[in-house]
Amino acid sequence: MTAADKTIMSAVDPRDAGTQLRPGLWQTINERYPGSMIRKESFVPQARLAKPLAASRLTLVSSCGVHLKSDQHLDVCHPFGDFRFMRVPSRAKHDDLIIHQLKYPHDDADLDINVIFPIERLQELCQEGRLGGLTPNFFSFIGYSMDPEKFERTVAAGIAEAVVREERADCALLAPA
Amino acid sequence: MPTVSVTVARDVTEAIKVPRALFLPWPMGHHFGVPFQRDLQRRVVLAALGMLETSDEPGTILDLPIKWADVRREAKTLTEQGRKL
Repeated sequence: MTAADKTIMSAVDPRDAGTQLRPGLWQTINERYPGSMIRKESFVPQARLAKPLAASRLTLVSSCGVHLKSDQHLDVCHPFGDFRFMRVPSRAKHDDLIIHQLKYPHDDADLDINVIFPIERLQELCQEGRLGGLTPNFFSFIGYSMDPEKFERTVAAGIAEAVVREERADCALLAPA
Repeated sequence: MPTVSVTVARDVTEAIKVPRALFLPWPMGHHFGVPFQRDLQRRVVLAALGMLETSDEPGTILDLPIKWADVRREAKTLTEQGRKL
């Protein structure tokens, strides 16, 4: 490899360029898992905070597949997906939790869950008064699904119902794994 | 309810039309950085939460321009300092 080649490769390396590390992911997913993605044609109206963050109750929702070690495990083998969601107590710590998901690398998250599910960082912000509070439970599920309509009816609708009516969240941080 | 998404896949986020999102040019499974980098994890969380207060335009995607090469360099430093990684 010449010096010029190295210069060209360096210039386009997304690790140095600060661009999406895995370009073309949307196309790749739709080619490998046709029909698996929920599609929207328009934006929903932008909701705004009714009060400052320091007075708001936040929830966290992630497709990373994390749950308490004591919970029944999510099904990572079902060909159509696991249409359940898990409640993760917002007071839980890294050592209480485990990830069951096969569709993304979670070696680093196994060392520190905050890499994908920043539960301890949110606890700190709450203790500092930067957030008004956390919902008693956070939410997680396996993002892989080959039936997006059923997914919307079950997982998405179930989490939305729980977040609004049970947990009474004011806002949500979403972490799609 | 106001929501903010943290994404490492800008093209997917654009396609599914989320209300607001923070984009990191990092690998899947590393939306908030690398293990034991509390300051970096906190920075990502605060940048995302800040969008709840500032973003008005549907579909806004904000870049947090921290290169993955720099993140890994810092992670390596932690390892050399004897931190668990």
